[in-house]
Amino acid sequence: MSIINALVTATFNTPEKIATNPQSILWLLPLVAAIAIVYKTTKLPEIKVASFLKETVVLFGSIVIFMFVTAFTLCVLAWLITE
Amino acid sequence: MTSRQSKEKHTLFLLTVGLSAWLIPGAGYLLLKKKKHALIIFVTITLTFCIGLYVSSIGVINFKQAKPWYVAQMMNSPIVAAVGHLAAEGDYPVYGRPNEIGQIYTSITGLLNLLCIVNAVYLAHLRKTETA
Repeated sequence: MSIINALVTATFNTPEKIATNPQSILWLLPLVAAIAIVYKTTKLPEIKVASFLKETVVLFGSIVIFMFVTAFTLCVLAWLITE
Repeated sequence: MTSRQSKEKHTLFLLTVGLSAWLIPGAGYLLLKKKKHALIIFVTITLTFCIGLYVSSIGVINFKQAKPWYVAQMMNSPIVAAVGHLAAEGDYPVYGRPNEIGQIYTSITGLLNLLCIVNAVYLAHLRKTETA
């Protein structure tokens, strides 16, 4: 039991190694999923699996697409300014 | 029951809902007998907060050098304060990308919980006005 405790504690005592590269942007996906789930939970008066999943996926997709479009626009702007 | 007593009881109920929603994410909805809402909120907020701590270690809860982030993190639960003190007593340095991701995850979950607290209190208030 103490070994398990030590392992669990160690997991939260040392930071993970995350490189500063484009792939690290993917860390936004779980966070966006959490935001979509919690927001839809607060908005729906009753939770029914099918409608809840549908609405959550739509919100998740909307946020990701909006962020992608914003990032793309900023990239184009940066390219236009620096070229 | 007089109108004043009823009003006091209602205020106490709103406070209880708000406080319990802060103590345990989703508990406010549980008091409103919305079990599914409570479970989803509890699991999502706790899991996302734990992902943040896993990525960056407990060192990300830093009330000395990252006060604005700490305020948002505190919205998760008062337990965060205990974790913050634990982190301040030990040596848990965290820099760079893990620090950024951990701060964003733990703070956003705090703000999401704040949204849930406000919404639970509002729903509790609406129940009273609808029955009146």
